[in-house]
Amino acid sequence: MRYSSQRVAYPYFVVALLLFGLQVAFGMLAAAKYLGPDPLLQVLPFDVVKVIHTNLLLVWVLTGFMGAAYYVVPEESRVELYSVRLAYVQLGLWTAMGVTAVVGYVFRWTAGNKLLEQPFPLKIVIVVVMLMFLYNIGMTIRAGGRLTTTEGVLVAGLACTALLYLPSLLEFDNYTLSIFYRWWTVHLWVEGVWEMIQGGILAYLLIRLSGVDREVMEKWLYVIVGLTFISGILGTAHHYYWIGVPRYWLPLGGFFSALEPLSFLAMAMYAYYAMRRSGLSHPNRMAMHWTMGSAIFSALGAGILGLAHTWPAVNKWTHGTMITSMHAHMAFFGAYVMIVLGMITYALPGLTGRSEDSRETAAGFWAFWLQMAGMFGMTMAFAAAGITQTYLERILGIGYLETQLKLQVHILMLVATGALFVAGVALFLWDFFFLAGRPLVAVETDRLAPARPTA
Amino acid sequence: MTKRGAQAFFVAGTLISALVFLALTVDSHRKIPALTNAAAIDATVIAGKDVWHRNNCINCHTLLGEGAYYAPDLTQITAQRGADYLREFLKDPSRFYSEERDGRLMPTLKLSDQDITAVIAFLGWVSKINTQGWPPRPILVRGSAVPGAVIGAAPAMPSSSDPIEVGRATFNAVPPACAACHSVAPNVNIVGPTLAGIATTAAARVRGADYHGQAKDAAGYIRESILAPNTHVLTGPTFSAGGRSLMPSDYAQTLKPEQVDQIVAYLLTLK
Repeated sequence: MRYSSQRVAYPYFVVALLLFGLQVAFGMLAAAKYLGPDPLLQVLPFDVVKVIHTNLLLVWVLTGFMGAAYYVVPEESRVELYSVRLAYVQLGLWTAMGVTAVVGYVFRWTAGNKLLEQPFPLKIVIVVVMLMFLYNIGMTIRAGGRLTTTEGVLVAGLACTALLYLPSLLEFDNYTLSIFYRWWTVHLWVEGVWEMIQGGILAYLLIRLSGVDREVMEKWLYVIVGLTFISGILGTAHHYYWIGVPRYWLPLGGFFSALEPLSFLAMAMYAYYAMRRSGLSHPNRMAMHWTMGSAIFSALGAGILGLAHTWPAVNKWTHGTMITSMHAHMAFFGAYVMIVLGMITYALPGLTGRSEDSRETAAGFWAFWLQMAGMFGMTMAFAAAGITQTYLERILGIGYLETQLKLQVHILMLVATGALFVAGVALFLWDFFFLAGRPLVAVETDRLAPARPTA
Repeated sequence: MTKRGAQAFFVAGTLISALVFLALTVDSHRKIPALTNAAAIDATVIAGKDVWHRNNCINCHTLLGEGAYYAPDLTQITAQRGADYLREFLKDPSRFYSEERDGRLMPTLKLSDQDITAVIAFLGWVSKINTQGWPPRPILVRGSAVPGAVIGAAPAMPSSSDPIEVGRATFNAVPPACAACHSVAPNVNIVGPTLAGIATTAAARVRGADYHGQAKDAAGYIRESILAPNTHVLTGPTFSAGGRSLMPSDYAQTLKPEQVDQIVAYLLTLK
């Protein structure tokens, strides 16, 4: 850590991790409801638990991305952050929005549009927060007069995230149209611009951790992001198959979905190449675990498991079954959770004022391996449930409710492996909050003075 | 490849993909109204869409296969259950399902009559969207778990032109989705009463003292039950409410006369 204003990342990571903890708690509650019976049926029904589970994920991962950007951009542009105060105000507003949304959901205040359930006033707050963030980052880069490819990809990803949120403000009388544009936000986020963010953070971490030549890494970053958009933009088609649009989206979705694993495989090869080239030279081995893990897990979860059900001939039978949960859990975890946890682990020694780069704790490694094992098991449980559901309910035509009763054993496995995962998350939080030490406070610096490294 | 080359690959690839995607979006916009029967979207359907959103339905159910996986898909629910049934169900789901028996129960939403009418109209509109043939087989809420029940497993196409065979296929097809509510296995009441042995039962019912309809024999009774379900109402928690059958009462309009003949011919074989 070279600039004192980078420390503003710490409170972002605090908020992100607290919401992460809350998210997995609601996830366990949702799994318990699958086992039934549900004593909270009339008070806190499944839909409320699920909407909180998914919305917390979006909010905390974005919090992590923004924290990561505040950490990366000053270092890449070699200048203090434009305004630390603005970053704090932004975090306050963002957190207030998140908490209001969650409490609102409990009291049935919802827009009821999958993953974009935020009521309209909160959507406006989200847009405002995004603008504050982009302004702060933009002014910082301008002050530094230096824009590296790595930070450029990261910041462009976040800017596009804000831009692609705008369609969610529209309302349509035709339900098909509202789904059509909902995917502009949801799909183009997770299979488009968020991959840019992941790629940007990955490149940053790999350059720092392995010491591989920046020119080489940034060249391949362009290739990865290029592959992402070539496959991802038209890959949106795999959400359009059955919603009331022309038939040409089917072959189109099949073809471009088949290309989608390429960018994730490229990222895995990219990480492997970096490690092979320079060896495991950096002392922060925990950050290395998360970084490599993210590259590999996202190739499996987002790349391969996504492809498992995006071909029209397969999707016809699996659409709307727990096959989707299988893919979604591993993909989100591998691509976005792990890269944020990697960034946090990498930045933590500097943020807590340690001189050495390395920080190793048994709790930290257990947190990694338990989350790995837990998420792998959960994915297998969802897969078994999804395959069973597809055959019984969709192919044999057995009723939904009878089929669900046959899935109970897989839900038991889900709860068991989910418990491992939650233990891993708890250890990560324990390590972050109690073992890592007190944070340094970010200092407001004179924006007009030339940037001066603090260390 | 140089860094410049990589940059060019990224910029060109992204631009071309985005342009193709935007062009297809414009074309889809022109075709979606016809594919979704947009002319039928009236104030009630829009109000129903709002009810759907306001009550967060999508976070348990799927619609067009999108949503959550905790409750059944509702894309074709209005083709499988009549409006009377859906109305009674939405007023109090616990009358129809129980956590003990089914493992799941929908919470009571306390919807107004107006809201219920609207959301049924909305779901009715959704059921007529051209989904390119999805789902390939009906997705049922309940049924068919018992050996002997043939729900959903039977192909929609009859294997011969024999009226009984055609009737059996029609019985299992959606619409009219007879099989979504009536099983043909003994003692399996999905929603409507089982039709196992209906030929024998019907013959007994027309002679019963509580029967006041026009039918003289089993065939007549079955025909009358299809076309005018309120003539002879069976009581049962999911069969009727307030003396009115929960079966759709519009089969006289939606089925062709020969289809009714064929279904009757098929059901008469269930002795």
